[in-house]
Order: sequence, then C-alpha cells, then structure tokens
Amino acid sequence: MALEVPSNIPREPLLRFLVALADDELVLGHRDSEWTGHAPILEEDIAFSNIAQDEIGHSLVWYTMNEQLGGKSPDWMGFERNWKHFTSCHFVAHPKGDFAYTVIRQYLFDVGEQVRLNSLCSSSFVPVKEAAEKILQEEGYHIMHSRSLVERLGNATNESHTRMQAAVDLAFPQALGMFEELAGENELVKAGVFSGNELLQQLWVESVVPVLTAASLKLPVDTKNGTMTVHAKADEGGRKGWQKEHLKQLVEDLQTVYKLSPGGSW
Amino acid sequence: MMDTQWETYEVFHQTKRGDPHVHVGAVHAPDPHMALQMARDQFARRLKCSSIWVVRSKDVARTDYQDETFFAQATDKSYRDPKAFEAPDKGEH
Repeated sequence: MALEVPSNIPREPLLRFLVALADDELVLGHRDSEWTGHAPILEEDIAFSNIAQDEIGHSLVWYTMNEQLGGKSPDWMGFERNWKHFTSCHFVAHPKGDFAYTVIRQYLFDVGEQVRLNSLCSSSFVPVKEAAEKILQEEGYHIMHSRSLVERLGNATNESHTRMQAAVDLAFPQALGMFEELAGENELVKAGVFSGNELLQQLWVESVVPVLTAASLKLPVDTKNGTMTVHAKADEGGRKGWQKEHLKQLVEDLQTVYKLSPGGSW
Repeated sequence: MMDTQWETYEVFHQTKRGDPHVHVGAVHAPDPHMALQMARDQFARRLKCSSIWVVRSKDVARTDYQDETFFAQATDKSYRDPKAFEAPDKGEH
C-alpha cells in the first residue's frame, strides 16, 4: 500500500525522520536482546527479551511506513544496509555493559520515546499520528518497568547506588544525542509533523530529572525558577551518519544470519 | 552465605472477568508491585488476561504432604455422595 505525502510536507526530511526513529528502535532492541540468557535474574531475562521484541516491532512500523512512502523495504534497511548509513544515535548502540547501565539507558530511552510519541499524536501527517497512538499503548508498560527498577536500584544498597550513578554519568550525555537536530527538521516542524527536537529534549529533561533525583541519582542539570538547564555536552553525530565502531559490531551481528543466504526466507 | 534471591510470589491468572483466578506458577520479585510486573511478563504476554493476583509464597498457609490424617476418610461415607440418591428417569413434577 503506497502512501501519498501531502504537498505541504517535505518528503526527504519526512523519510529521514522515520528512518531515524526506526534505527533507534532496531539498534536498542538488538542491544536489549543481548540480555537473553544473561540477565542477572530469570524474570528480568524474560522482561528484557520481551522489551527487545517490542522495540524491534516499533522499528518495523516506521520502516514499513518509510517503504510505503517510496523508501527501501524493512528487510533491506535492517539486513542489507551498510552500518555507516544507519542514523541511530550513539546512545542506543553503546555496548550493554553493566545491568545498571541497561536499566538507566532503557528508562532514559523510554521517556524519550514517550515524549516523542505524545508529540506525534498530534502530527499533521495522519499515518504517523495513527502509528504513534498505537505504539504509545505499549510504551506505558515499558516505562513502568524501567522506572520501577530505577527507583529501587537507586535507593537500595551502596553497591546498587554506586553502579546506578556510574551508569547515569555515562548515559546522560549520550541520551541527549536522541534529540540531535535532523537535516530539514525546521520544515517538518513548520508543516506540523512533529514539534522539534529542542522542545522534546526540554520535555524529556523535565520528566526524567524528578524521577532520577528521587532515586538519589545526581544529574548535570540546574533548576532555577522552575527552568531546568543541562550542563553536559550531548553525544551527537549519529543522525548525520557519523557512526562509531560499536554500531559496526552490532550491525555485523544483526546481519550475520541473513548474509549466509541473502534473500532467503523462512 | 547470605541468600541473595528475591522472595517468591504465587501467581493467579484470570482469563476473563468473572472467571476464577487460577494458579499458574510463581515469580521472584523484590516487592508486590514488581511481582505484578514480573507476572505480567511471564504469564500474561501470550495468554489472554483480564486480571492477575500475586501472593507472597510464605503467606500461603499450606497442608503438610506427610500428614495423611488431615484428609483421612476411614469409614464408609458413600451415603454422602449424590449417587446415594437415585432419581427416577422420568419423575413427575
């Protein structure tokens, strides 16, 4: 089913926007799946495998829309594309590391996804609006789960607190990379497709700071007269395709089976 | 060695409103709220589900398998069974 782009919406920035969304979801979904069989407890092993499948499912929604608008197929995007052409942020490709890092990353990403989807629920491009409404239903549970872990591990023992703080110190500047400006973004904002990364980042900061603070975790954020200011350098470049070796390794893993028999199906 | 395992919670699953909650297994969790989330992932992801209960396993009072006298039925009680009352096939009402 082909989709038409209304004349007031610029096509190239729209496709770039959809692929960036999809790439983040696919790459993080793959990282989450690396816990399958390795999580510190069986129940979390299953929970993260479940979340991994959900994130990859979300990537399929956006890749499919990209295809309907004239882009390449979802399989091509995931299995044949060169890693240097992914536009995911560096944050999602970072190796899974300590479980504390995975928990913090998942929480920061889930809230990022939530503020983005909330904004897309009033998108002027109806297929995006409808997809966002659908995905948002699943995202509520993801946030509940990652937030519950953050709240408990931040305040549990000295060891859990120390590991969570180290995870926040590493993850927070990386997470800001989720909101790197996309080429042509202003045109999309003008056409009402979404509300722009600068605003989304502000909403995200206002959401995550109170939760992390209540979990006794310190952040490079100042609050003055109700306005929060971030003092950290965002880890950007992913949206421009400046990717790191971490992504290369991940994409090689992701494409191994497919490349044994290109075009094969099961 | 200190026991580092979380407590277990028994999980009861209800397919649709009005049905009984049926015991389906147990999960490890640090508290009841997390136990509900764990139970959702283990038991409500593929099964249709309208409600879940979790109960801390150690809060369940239970009989002892060794104590056979608890369920003993020594004397003939067949007169208590419904089969002791024979209803005619075509009774008049």
